Amino acid sequence: MSDRVFILPLWIRLWHWTNAALILLLTITGASLHFADPKLPLVPFELSARIHDIAGLALAALYLVFVVANVVTGNWWQYVPKPGGFVERCKNQIVFYCWGIFRGAPHPYPPTAEANFNSLQQIIYWIVMYLLMPILIVTGLIFLWPDFAPKRVMGMDGLVPVALLHYLTAVLIVSFMIAHIYLGTTGTKVSSLFKMMITGWHEH
Amino acid sequence: MNQPLNRRTVGAVLLLFAGLLATSPAGAQTKGAAPKDPETIAQIQAWNGECLACHTEAALHKPPRPGMDIKALSEALTDPAKYDRSNHAGMACKTCHVGGYRDWPHKGPAQAVPGKAETLDCNECHAQKSWHVDAQVAKSVHSKNLSEKFTCSTCHDPHVYQTAAKLKEPAKIVAQDNGMCLSCHQSDEKFAAFGGKLTPAKKRPDIDAIHAWLPNTKLHWNAVRCVECHTPVSPTRTLAISHEILGKDKAQRDCVTCHSQDSALRTGLYRHVAETESAELGFLNSAVLGNSYVIGATRNTHLDRFGLVLIGLVFAGVLGHGLIRILAALGRRSVK
Ligand code: HEC
Ligand code: HEC
Ligand code: HEC
Ligand code: HEC
Ligand code: HEC
Ligand code: HEC
Ligand code: HEC
Ligand code: HEM
Repeated sequence: MSDRVFILPLWIRLWHWTNAALILLLTITGASLHFADPKLPLVPFELSARIHDIAGLALAALYLVFVVANVVTGNWWQYVPKPGGFVERCKNQIVFYCWGIFRGAPHPYPPTAEANFNSLQQIIYWIVMYLLMPILIVTGLIFLWPDFAPKRVMGMDGLVPVALLHYLTAVLIVSFMIAHIYLGTTGTKVSSLFKMMITGWHEH
Repeated sequence: MNQPLNRRTVGAVLLLFAGLLATSPAGAQTKGAAPKDPETIAQIQAWNGECLACHTEAALHKPPRPGMDIKALSEALTDPAKYDRSNHAGMACKTCHVGGYRDWPHKGPAQAVPGKAETLDCNECHAQKSWHVDAQVAKSVHSKNLSEKFTCSTCHDPHVYQTAAKLKEPAKIVAQDNGMCLSCHQSDEKFAAFGGKLTPAKKRPDIDAIHAWLPNTKLHWNAVRCVECHTPVSPTRTLAISHEILGKDKAQRDCVTCHSQDSALRTGLYRHVAETESAELGFLNSAVLGNSYVIGATRNTHLDRFGLVLIGLVFAGVLGHGLIRILAALGRRSVK
């Protein structure tokens, strides 16, 4: 009977898609800034800079909302890796992606209202949301107000480490995004998980 | 009418004077060049000391002679420390300031621009360079309405100016060269002294407001020169940037002229550093890095490769995984 379970409140879904749209926009404009070259088919530099600045500020604000809402609703608990066989559960999940999934085996840890992330998701989402995103946002904000950058670092302009860190975390987040979108197709049907992120209902 | 003539005769007299002073063969060096022998150096220092006894800040507080016009003097000060660093360091003041200035009280004809007729023009010693530069200045926006007032020394303080090659450090070059432009374009008073005489009088537009489209405007003022965007590259190789300041409709607004691998900064501001550049740690345009991180121009090729390879691998992994999933699903279906 209960092959449907409601696991995602509206605010999480709204946050998720706004976040996704902003990151996509930031990726396209960020790449256009970084690889700026009149010979490449990129978004024009001036336009990229303007969009990137606005979208970056929006993402920073959204992140603040995300953190506050997580604390207020208690949703942060979902991200915390739970003891008692955590490594074991991660292993099972990896084995599933490397083998079981090809044989049509069921998901080892299907989401429930109490625990909607599996252990692998917990650890990776935790790293992405609470480690990489803050680094990306802080370096981005320094880029916007370069007076806060150190004056000089190892004989180079102080903005150099800020820029390298911003670029590096951006690359990691874009890599995550690609894998993340792909894993979205691993539901019961290819479209199930995308539907879940819109309606909030998970179909087993 | 007879002023230019006056200047020429004075110049000719000076040529003789300078020729006597010069120890190395005449013609090999610029007229009035700083001498190398200690005797002449000491002589020039003594002469300049006479002028500097009055023409420095200190003299205002303790006038060396009575009866001086202190207010006029307060507008005629020089900074010996800056002079000694300038391209004209070691030259005698009276090589350029001739006639009535050689003695005090200074006497000479009353002049619209005080002292002008009795100070040598740049072209009297820098004939060849001036010939090129003069033509460029003549085409410049400032010459359209203000050619009478806009001379070389309007921008170049001959007691202070240092060429880029001498200054070397880009931050100092930027500060000096932008200082020239901003001394007018950021001062209502000085701007009005020039633009206010036009009909209709030209009001000074606010420099930051005009360039509001340039993000981090203040940061750009410290990192890049006005002339980088406002002048074409010089056709004369020995002078990197032309003196022809273009109208605002022809100014450079395309960010990628600087923010790209083939950055124009290489041939402009950084031309003296770029020659000695080595590709340190895989950075593009590493010569710029000591001073500025310039998006698009100073990226690191190692990190770029790392990023592209990582993202490429994730893509390939995901595609491969998906392909196996599809094949496996087809396999399972045909078994059923
Ligand atoms: C009495 C001769 C004399 C006059 C007048 C004179 N200079 Fe010079 N200038 C020199 C000498 C001598 C040097 C140093 C030797 C050299 O490098 O040519 C020099 C060097 C320079 C240099 C650096 C070398 C170069 O050519 O790149 C610049 C720039 C310069 N002068 C600009 C000016 C400007 C601008 C004026 C007018 C305001 C002026 N000079 C007037 C004699 C003169
Ligand atoms: C005893 C003090 C004194 C000495 C020495 C002196 N000056 Fe002056 N100078 C003045 C004063 C005061 C003025 C202000 C206007 C005036 O009185 O002519 C002036 C004006 C000038 C001006 C014109 C500035 C202007 O805006 O009108 C120049 C150029 C100048 N002096 C150059 C020299 C040179 C070069 C020497 C050295 C050979 C020299 N002076 C020695 C006191 C002196
Ligand atoms: C290379 C030539 C040159 C040399 C050398 C030189 N001057 Fe000048 N000086 C000028 C020019 C050009 C002006 C500007 C005249 C004008 O307004 O057109 C000037 C202006 C001045 C003025 C008027 C105030 C001002 O700053 O505009 C004073 C005072 C003066 N010089 C003093 C000196 C003294 C003192 C020395 C020696 C330490 C010296 N000059 C060496 C070329 C020279
Ligand atoms: C509108 C301001 C302005 C005026 C007017 C001006 N200059 Fe310049 N000049 C500059 C700037 C800015 C630079 C630095 C350009 C560079 O480093 O490429 C410069 C550089 C130079 C240089 C040195 C180039 C080098 O090799 O580094 C010389 C020589 C020179 N000017 C001579 C003159 C002469 C002669 C005149 C008068 C005919 C004149 N300038 C008028 C702004 C001006
Ligand atoms: C990044 C390139 C760039 C730099 C650097 C730059 N400008 Fe401009 N500037 C422009 C462009 C493009 C315009 C035309 C803007 C417009 O028409 O809206 C302009 C316009 C101007 C105008 C015309 C104002 C008016 O509307 O009458 C002045 C004056 C000016 N700039 C002075 C400066 C000065 C002084 C500096 C150095 C402090 C400087 N610029 C640096 C690109 C630049
Ligand atoms: C002595 C004062 C003075 C200095 C120095 C000066 N300017 Fe100007 N500038 C003016 C005035 C006055 C005007 C207005 C001229 C007019 O409208 O005819 C002007 C106009 C301009 C314009 C506007 C042209 C347009 O299309 O409306 C530009 C661009 C400009 N200056 C750039 C520069 C740059 C770059 C430098 C430095 C290399 C510089 N100026 C140095 C006084 C100055
Ligand atoms: C004449 C060369 C030049 C042009 C044209 C230019 N820039 Fe810059 N820009 C620089 C330099 C140099 C810096 C480095 C400033 C620093 O940090 O020292 C810089 C810095 C920046 C920064 C701050 C981040 C960083 O890299 O340090 C931004 C954002 C930026 N530019 C955007 C733009 C945009 C947008 C345009 C076009 C509308 C533009 N620039 C045109 C030279 C230029
Ligand atoms: C997934 C998200 C993001 C990606 C992929 C990304 C990527 C990039 C890249 C590649 C650059 C060029 C830097 C270089 O060449 O070294 C850049 C510049 C910049 N980034 Fe980001 N970034 C992201 C998020 C943010 C955020 C959240 C902020 C602000 C809070 C921000 C602010 C900036 C600023 C200010 C610059 C300088 C250029 C400009 O002013 O537009 N970025 N970004």
